[in-house]
Amino acid sequence: MIPGDFRVPKISPKILLISCLGTLITLVILIIAVLFVGSAWWTQPLFGFDEGPDQPIAFKHSPHVKDLGMKCTYCHRFGTEGAAAAAIPPVEFCMSCHRVVGDDNKEIKKIRDAYNGGKPIDWVRVHRLPDHAKFYHPPHIKKLSEKNNIEASEVCSTCHGDVASMNKVKQVSPMKMGWCVDCHRANGASTDCTTCHY
Amino acid sequence: MKQSKWGMVVDLDKCTGCQGCVVACQAENNIPSNEKSDYDEDRVIQWIRVERYWEGTFPDVKARFIPIMCQHCDEAPCEPVCPVYATYHNSEGLNVQVYNRCIGTRFCANNCPYQVRFFNFWEAEWPDSLKNQLNPDVTVRSRGIMEKCTFCIQRIRRTKRDANVNGFEIDDGSRAINPACVNACPTEALVFGDMNDSNSKVSKIKEKESKKSGRGYHLMEHYGTSPNVIYLKKIEKNKSHSN
Ligand code: HEC
Ligand code: HEC
Ligand code: HEC
Ligand code: HEC
Ligand code: HEC
Repeated sequence: MIPGDFRVPKISPKILLISCLGTLITLVILIIAVLFVGSAWWTQPLFGFDEGPDQPIAFKHSPHVKDLGMKCTYCHRFGTEGAAAAAIPPVEFCMSCHRVVGDDNKEIKKIRDAYNGGKPIDWVRVHRLPDHAKFYHPPHIKKLSEKNNIEASEVCSTCHGDVASMNKVKQVSPMKMGWCVDCHRANGASTDCTTCHY
Repeated sequence: MKQSKWGMVVDLDKCTGCQGCVVACQAENNIPSNEKSDYDEDRVIQWIRVERYWEGTFPDVKARFIPIMCQHCDEAPCEPVCPVYATYHNSEGLNVQVYNRCIGTRFCANNCPYQVRFFNFWEAEWPDSLKNQLNPDVTVRSRGIMEKCTFCIQRIRRTKRDANVNGFEIDDGSRAINPACVNACPTEALVFGDMNDSNSKVSKIKEKESKKSGRGYHLMEHYGTSPNVIYLKKIEKNKSHSN
C-alpha cells in the first residue's frame, strides 16, 4: 500500500452487528451497575438483597407475634437500666416454651440441642450501624410512644417495618445519616454531630 | 433540660503524680498502649498526661506534677484551622472531634498550644488478651485521623440518656457525671461538673478560687484561649516545716 492511500476497510455486516450488540450489552451492564451502586449508596439496593439473611434456625416472627400475640418487648428486652441494644433473647428464654411446644419440629429440635449442648445460637445480625454511629433504643421508644400515645411495641414498625409478616427479618429503612437527621429535625431532637458520633 | 457547660478543676496541691488518671483514660477511651518506640518517635497517644518538673537542685529538690488534658477552650485555636469542620464547639461547651469527618490534615494539632491532640499514625492494635476490654461506647479510631480528650462524652451522653428515660435528676453525688480520670483520682485532685449550675462543686471552687486571693489560674492564659479547665496552685509549705 502506498502511504496516504487510505481506504476504509470493509466490515462485514455480521461483525458490525456483533460489535453493536456488544456495545449495547456493555452499556446496559454499566447502567445497571451504576444504578445498583447508586441506590445502595443513597438508600437501599434497588434489587437483590431484599430477602433477609438466612438464620441458623428458621425462626419466624409470625407464629409468635401474630398467632400468640407476644409483644416485641417481651423478647427484645431493653432492660430497666436502659441497655443500648434491643438484643436477641437467649436460648433459655426460648426454652421456657419450647421445652414443651413443638416436639416434632426439626427447627425446634435445634433450639433444644443448642440448649442441651450449652451453646448459644449464632443469629446473623441484620441491622448494623458503623462503629462511629451510636444508636440507642430507649430514648426513641420512650419519646415516640409518648408522642403518638402508643405502646412501646407499636413504635418498632416506624423503623423496622412489619417484622411480624417477614419470613426472614430484613432491613427496610435506609438507616443512613440523612434518614436519622430527617426524623430528628421533624421531632425537634438534637442534630449536634456528637449526639451520634463520638 | 438546662444547657450544661462542662468544666474541670485540677488541684495541683492534691496531685501526687500517681498516673492513675492516665491509665483510667487509656482503658476507658480505647487508646492503644504506648510502646517505648512510640515515645522515642514522639508519637504517643495520651489524652491526659502527667508532666513532671524538678524544682531546685539536689538535695533540696521538689517534684512538681501537672496533669494536662484538652482544655476545652472557649476560644479554641484548633477549631478555625480545620478545613472540614471536624472539630468544633458543641452547645455544651465541649471541644469535640468528629472522627468520621476528620481527614487528617493535622492543622489542629499544630495550632494547639497545649499539645493535647494526637494523630493516629498507625492502625490501633491491641494484644488478643485486651480485645474484649474495649469500650463499646467509644469509637475505635482508625489510622490517619486526629483524636483528643472528650471529657468522656460517652459518659455524659449515657447519664443524660438514663436520666431522661428513667426520669432522675443529675447531681454531684451518686447521679454525677464524671470522666474516667476523675473517678480514678485517689486524692480527688480532679473535679468535674457543670459550670452553668451555680450549685455544682466546680462552680463553687471556681467562684472561691478565681478571686484575687484564690489559687485558680488557666494554663497559658496570655494566649486568650479561655480554657474550661481551672488549675489551682500548689500551696507552698513554710520552709521551716519541710525538711
Ligand atoms: C419469640 C420472641 C420474639 C418476639 C415476640 C419478637 N422477636 Fe424479633 N427476633 C427474635 C429472634 C430470635 C430474632 C433473631 C432471628 C432473626 O433475625 O430472625 C429476632 C430478630 C429481630 C430483628 C432483627 C435483628 C437484627 O439482627 O438486626 C428485628 C428488627 C426484630 N426482631 C424486631 C421485632 C419486632 C418489631 C417485634 C414485634 C413485632 C419482634 N421482633 C418480636 C425473637 C422475637
Ligand atoms: C411464649 C412461648 C414461646 C416462646 C417464648 C418462644 N416460642 Fe417459638 N413457638 C411458640 C409456639 C406456640 C409455636 C407454634 C408451634 C406450632 O405451630 O406447632 C412456636 C413456633 C416456633 C418455631 C416453628 C415455626 C414454624 O414455622 O413452624 C420456631 C422455629 C420457634 N418457635 C423458635 C423460637 C425461638 C428461637 C424462640 C426464642 C427466641 C422462641 N421460639 C420462643 C411459642 C413460643
Ligand atoms: C428510631 C428507629 C428505631 C425504632 C423505633 C426501633 N429500632 Fe430497632 N434498630 C434501629 C437501628 C438504627 C438499629 C441498628 C442498631 C445498631 O446497629 O447499632 C436497630 C437494631 C435493632 C435490633 C438488633 C439488635 C440491636 O439492638 O442492635 C433489634 C432486635 C431491634 N432493633 C428491635 C427493635 C424493637 C423490638 C423495637 C420496638 C420496641 C425497635 N427495634 C424500635 C432503629 C429503631
Ligand atoms: C422516627 C424518628 C427517628 C429516627 C428515624 C431516628 N431518631 Fe434518634 N431520636 C428521635 C427522637 C424523637 C429523639 C429524642 C428523644 C428525646 O428527646 O427523649 C431521638 C434522640 C436520639 C439520640 C439522643 C438520645 C439521648 O438523649 O442521648 C440519639 C443518640 C439518636 N436519636 C440517634 C439516632 C440515630 C443514630 C438514628 C439513625 C440510625 C436515629 N436516631 C434515627 C427520633 C428518631
Ligand atoms: C442523628 C444521628 C446523627 C447525627 C446528628 C449526625 N450523624 Fe453523621 N452519621 C450518622 C449515621 C447513622 C451514619 C452512618 C450511616 C451512613 O453512612 O450514612 C453517619 C455517617 C456519617 C459520615 C460518613 C462516614 C462514612 O464513612 O461514610 C460522616 C462524615 C458524618 N456522619 C459526619 C457527621 C457530621 C459532621 C455531623 C454533624 C454536623 C453528623 N454526622 C451528625 C448519624 C448521625
